[in-house]
Amino acid sequence: MSMERLNLYTKRLKGFINQYKESKLGIIGLIILSIFIFISVFANYLSDYSIKATEGDLSAQFEPPSYKHWLGTDDVGRDLFTQIMYGGRISLLIGFLAAAISGGFGTLVGLFAGYFGGWREDILMRITDIVLVIPGLPLMIVLSALLGSSFWNIIFVISIIGWTGTARVVRAQVLSLKERPFIESTRVIGAGDLRIIGLHLLPNVFPLIVAQMVLRIGSAILAEASLSFLGLGDPMSVSWGMILHWAFTTGALFSNYWWFLLPPGICITLVVLGFTFVGYALDQIVNPRIRRR
Amino acid sequence: MVLLDVENLRTYFETRGGFVKAVDEVSLQIEKGDALGLVGESGCGKTTTVLSIMRLLPSNGRVLGGKILFDGVDMIAIDEEKLRQEIRWKRMSMIFQGAMNAFNPVFRVGDQIIQAIRVHEDITKESASKRVKELFSLVGIDPDRTRDYPHEFSGGMKQRAIIAMSIACNPDLVIADEPVTALDVIVQAQILELMRDLREKLGLSMILITHDLSVIADICNKATIMYAGKIVEQGDIVTIFKHPEHPYTQGLLTNYPSIKGERKKFAPITGRPPNLISPPPGCRFHPRCPYADEICRREDPETVEMKRGHYVACHMKNR
Amino acid sequence: MVTKKFVIKRLAVCVSTIFIVIVLNFMLFRVMPANPVDILLSPDVGQLSASIRMEVREEMIKSLGLDKPLWMQFVRYLGDVFKGNFGESFRTHRKVLSMISERVANTIVLMLSANILSILMAIGLGVVAAWKRGTKTDITSLIFALIFTSMPMFWVGGIIILVFAVRLDLFPMFGTTTVGLEHSNMFAYLSDYLRHLFLPMITMTLVSFGGLLLIVRSALLDVFSEDYILTARAIGLKDRTIIFKNALNNAMLPLITIIAINLGFMIGGSLLTETVFSWPGLGLTIYEAVMYRDYPVLQGTFLIITIIVVIANFLAEIVYGYADPRVRSGA
Repeated sequence: MSMERLNLYTKRLKGFINQYKESKLGIIGLIILSIFIFISVFANYLSDYSIKATEGDLSAQFEPPSYKHWLGTDDVGRDLFTQIMYGGRISLLIGFLAAAISGGFGTLVGLFAGYFGGWREDILMRITDIVLVIPGLPLMIVLSALLGSSFWNIIFVISIIGWTGTARVVRAQVLSLKERPFIESTRVIGAGDLRIIGLHLLPNVFPLIVAQMVLRIGSAILAEASLSFLGLGDPMSVSWGMILHWAFTTGALFSNYWWFLLPPGICITLVVLGFTFVGYALDQIVNPRIRRR
Repeated sequence: MVLLDVENLRTYFETRGGFVKAVDEVSLQIEKGDALGLVGESGCGKTTTVLSIMRLLPSNGRVLGGKILFDGVDMIAIDEEKLRQEIRWKRMSMIFQGAMNAFNPVFRVGDQIIQAIRVHEDITKESASKRVKELFSLVGIDPDRTRDYPHEFSGGMKQRAIIAMSIACNPDLVIADEPVTALDVIVQAQILELMRDLREKLGLSMILITHDLSVIADICNKATIMYAGKIVEQGDIVTIFKHPEHPYTQGLLTNYPSIKGERKKFAPITGRPPNLISPPPGCRFHPRCPYADEICRREDPETVEMKRGHYVACHMKNR
Repeated sequence: MVTKKFVIKRLAVCVSTIFIVIVLNFMLFRVMPANPVDILLSPDVGQLSASIRMEVREEMIKSLGLDKPLWMQFVRYLGDVFKGNFGESFRTHRKVLSMISERVANTIVLMLSANILSILMAIGLGVVAAWKRGTKTDITSLIFALIFTSMPMFWVGGIIILVFAVRLDLFPMFGTTTVGLEHSNMFAYLSDYLRHLFLPMITMTLVSFGGLLLIVRSALLDVFSEDYILTARAIGLKDRTIIFKNALNNAMLPLITIIAINLGFMIGGSLLTETVFSWPGLGLTIYEAVMYRDYPVLQGTFLIITIIVVIANFLAEIVYGYADPRVRSGA
């Protein structure tokens, strides 16, 4: 990459950061996410309790919050506060990975469909439409039931549903970029298709993709939580969704063990909210339609 | 009889970067029967002036000073309800820039005009409908097409329909903001002829906004030239065209090639319009003016009456 | 005159989509690693001796037509679908179709009521938010909407049960009617049903109205920036008239499309809600099928709800075609 290009990107990045700083929601979102990421990463330094199911203290089942256990204990006596801290790891990790994969795949589909047009575009968009129309969660459930539940299976299942939004957005952007003279002139100069896509289209679509992916992390986390709640999550893992699964199946609901039920959901909500705020802030900057208004 | 009297109007826009001084101490007068051409580059404040008069500024626009009297009515102080019922459309109507989209695409054209009429007059739908058909004939559209939707009209037809709607309540003043800019030359000529006709037939007063001088030469009897939020020259049309005094006006006029006249080179006005958040000190035109002097950089020029009814704001004319 | 071509084109898309979905459904349940057929025929099924197992296995293969090539199996499946034969439940041995038809009404009631309520709330608040853009009212509604859409639906249901049913004992916790209660007349039945409907409906509404609100607001803001709205103000129309008789009409159009797309999400949401509230609908059916590895039920129910969503989308497109005059005349 030449010096000029590097400088251009740096200037754009600085301008972008300045614009972002103006969005109150964006800042709040970043703060929320930083807190959660920090806690997840350093969970083992922040707590001495174990989260292993076999290391629970069976004499201390379902205890309400106390000085010893800030958020009480679960059905096998494990400290819930610790579980919440570790729970972020799995939930966030699955969210990131699923969003990255579906974002990447969606981008590829959108780029190729938009750029090549013709029957290639028709087929790709038809596939997109069909995947879109099939109800998401039921399909994820069916696939999970058939594939079995493991860490990577869950990510795969969530990604398979999630790429369509990005594909559509990217394709729309590529279609509008195609009209611009600079693409034509690049072709006239003799640049190959791959070069045009990779070097000219992709950098212009990139901000849009990032905004999309951030929003997708939120929905991926919700999807993982729903799958885990329904019993299709990885039983060995301690994600927030799994904690809620245990809460429901051990009857915390009817027995009024609110400390079991409330915190994981609040964490999910806050994290998804954080990603939504950040995504919203990014979208305001990056989406050409909104800028016009 | 003075129909519209604008005195020292100041309209600013509140933006993140500061106040945009879009209209700064603008004064103009329309007498009954006048057709005033308001000319200037994009962004010079012509539309803002007119929106201020009609009180249709966007939410960040503020009228910070001056007086606007329409037939004696204080347009700044009058309350919203009265403005809506008695002035808007009934006495003062407007054709907006980009009027191609003035009609709501999901309603029929005729129905929209009927609605406009019935807001101000207590008549039946049938009578209003009849009036719309008459209006269509008047502007040159087949009266059977009142039940069509906007997308079924061509560009020229839409413009005629908008004109029909603007005169539907027999207003005293019609303000047309770039009414023919988006049309091709032949249709332009037709629409201008229509407007001239209507003005004669109905005795309308008009403000015609454009950046194209050739357009106003046809219809208007007066011209006002604006630059960067200020009025630089005003007068009757013949004087402005034959004896322009302000350097900006002169610049605008020299760049009109005449088919009959001698061949000459283009002499474009160099430079670009100023930033209206922090306009240049002194005369706003001085950075681009070939005659700029020390005083121009320091002081805002006073408006001088060169001849009867011909006003110029330029230091060079103060002598 | 609605163009026949328009309807036929959409219908063709609808039908071909349904066909593709059927193919997919068939493939999924044959091709996946844990596919039901292999499980059914696995040598561990049953406690019969080895030789008898072989016989039984061969019988089953023949009767299920599994010795025939894949495409023939598909044709047979297609025929079954058309006849409404979705097989029998592994668990209850009842016909899948009758299980579905028992419960489909409950799902429709739940989804319809939640949808209508969401739409009304979204429009009501969306109009206010868009008109007063940038003010405290706008920002507050936005934040609330965003918060609610970030909540997992099943968790919201759980909290609501905890607060309103368990602690406050205001509403029943599960089912459609109170267990063991004899209803004296239709009215008594209805009121019991509605009491049970209330909490799940509120749960679904709370989580979904947020997204709709954002879209209504966005669509309205787009419309408000259009020239014809400025013209309407210049004409002297009252603000209220402009919003409700002009702008909203235009904003409704994209809304129709969004509601159709939203149906897919609503089904997922209804699935979670029905599970939490033990509301006997198609969602609960799927959950139970997953829990008990009852594949025929899973396959059949999934197919039915997907077909319903596809048809609903098709209908929405037709409605949109009628509503937008630009589309109506084939522009």
